Amino acid sequence: MREMMLIIIGAVLVNNIVLSQFLGICPFLGVSKKLKSALGMGMAVTFVMTLASALTWLIQRYILEKMQIEYLQTIAFILVIASLVQFVEMVIRKTSPDLYKSLGVYLPLITTNCAVLGVAIINIQKSYTFAQTLTNSIANALGFTLALILFAGIRERLEDANVPKCFEGMPIALITAALMSIAFLGFTGLQ
Amino acid sequence: MRKVLKLSLFLLIVASIAGFSISYVNGITDPLIEQQNAEKKQSSFNDVYPGADDVKDESKKYITNDSDEVVKEVNIAYKSNIPVGVIYTVKPNGYNGKIEMLVGFDINSKKITAIKILSQSETPGLGANSKESFFSDRFKGLNAESSIEIVKKESVQDNEVLAITAATITSKAVASGVNVARQHFISNFAK
Amino acid sequence: MNLGKEFSKGILSENPLFRLTLGMCPSLAITTSVFNGLGMGIAFTVVLLASNIVISLLRKVIPDSIRIPCYIVIIATFVTMIEMIMHAFTPELFESLGIFIPLIVVNCIILGRAEAFANKNSLAPSIMDALGMGLGYTLALLVVSTFREILGAGTFLGYAIFGQSALIMILPPGAFITLGCVLAFLNKIQNRTKHSVNS
Repeated sequence: MREMMLIIIGAVLVNNIVLSQFLGICPFLGVSKKLKSALGMGMAVTFVMTLASALTWLIQRYILEKMQIEYLQTIAFILVIASLVQFVEMVIRKTSPDLYKSLGVYLPLITTNCAVLGVAIINIQKSYTFAQTLTNSIANALGFTLALILFAGIRERLEDANVPKCFEGMPIALITAALMSIAFLGFTGLQ
Repeated sequence: MRKVLKLSLFLLIVASIAGFSISYVNGITDPLIEQQNAEKKQSSFNDVYPGADDVKDESKKYITNDSDEVVKEVNIAYKSNIPVGVIYTVKPNGYNGKIEMLVGFDINSKKITAIKILSQSETPGLGANSKESFFSDRFKGLNAESSIEIVKKESVQDNEVLAITAATITSKAVASGVNVARQHFISNFAK
Repeated sequence: MNLGKEFSKGILSENPLFRLTLGMCPSLAITTSVFNGLGMGIAFTVVLLASNIVISLLRKVIPDSIRIPCYIVIIATFVTMIEMIMHAFTPELFESLGIFIPLIVVNCIILGRAEAFANKNSLAPSIMDALGMGLGYTLALLVVSTFREILGAGTFLGYAIFGQSALIMILPPGAFITLGCVLAFLNKIQNRTKHSVNS
């Protein structure tokens, strides 16, 4: 139990996936202009990341390792994630149009979200058990959502701020992310 | 239906060509990687316990169910067929994941000959400095019979090691790895 | 078709990192030293070149409806090969780039070039496009990593320059600060040239 808590605190706060491991930067900068879309993206990532991690862990353990073809890891994982995203999109569209309305637009973006593939690979590299894999991916997804929502909140206010012309848009977003990252450095040592 | 079949067949062909070409490259690079790892291991053994004629992996004999799970390998260094030193591979938990390191002991003098960090993922510029010689040299020649403590002030006494500035957790993790190896060494090799 | 133009657009006017702001993750994560930046740039260029060549050659064979999965398989194959080759020949670089080598697969630039360029153009322009984009990305990584290494570690390619250093530049926040400032600087230059053209 203590180990699980360490994984959660580590993934959400100390080694935040976006602010200290730099995974999933594209959606972090791209879908953070509005608080509402940030929340949608966060939920979509949480859903896909958890499913993908579980699936890739099983594939690694029961197919790749059994057949000793671990070197096909990258190609197998990316195919699993790509088809999973397609599948999830289809299922959600059929079963719950409301959910599809709120998550649908974000789903195709997730295939090239390096956070999903990144977490799947990290779970294998750290030789986590299945339970640890699930904990780690949910925690990382929560960390992603937390960073995204905080960031979107700041950016909504930034709209009204008087920013030097050359810093408008992406540059000021990056500087904001830098300040958040410094703040998250403060969690150093919680583990 | 026929179209679906045709498309899946096409994908299958693409994927199998990909699989074959990857396994071809793997066939070439794999022996090179193995050889490199073996050479690297030998040279690290020599760094940690210089001057041995032969180093044998005797983990099977010395790692039992009672041993600490941090101890990964026990290698014995021989000089003209007499065991003179013990080199441990230990993997303590660092700040950012496991730290893989070697700890060498001299059987005669019961002293630490040297330590060497093999792999770590600590913070660049802070904990990652643990792999630099200025830090690992601080463990050289320490007595294996008493526990090693990390201190933050300059004036170190016997069996005290000065921490890396701003990386106390990493320093403590390295020391804990050394201590686990030390206990195993004392209970198995110091008669 | 002007081959020179296909090459040069990737370096300045359509620089993938500075102009299109694609491929941000590795540019922030591995730019702690110039050596890493260079290594990542080269690995990236090789993968992009290989995938552009294959996709351009196969552009009439691959059925349109399954082109994206095909591209992903092709790119992943080259990434895996590069990963193995780096592991065998440059183990130090392999270790310091770590997880970001397999993650070249999801670098949006490569899939983007496949979709936007290689599947519409013949071999020669596709090669030039890949080389230009690869070089542009490598240069961008070099700019970011040069700032970070000099300011954060006081060294350049490992050679000491300053005795003192601002550690924060090597730590994660330094990545965001550097890239933010470089982008702002480029905006400033662009605004100025626009003004001078207008007046």
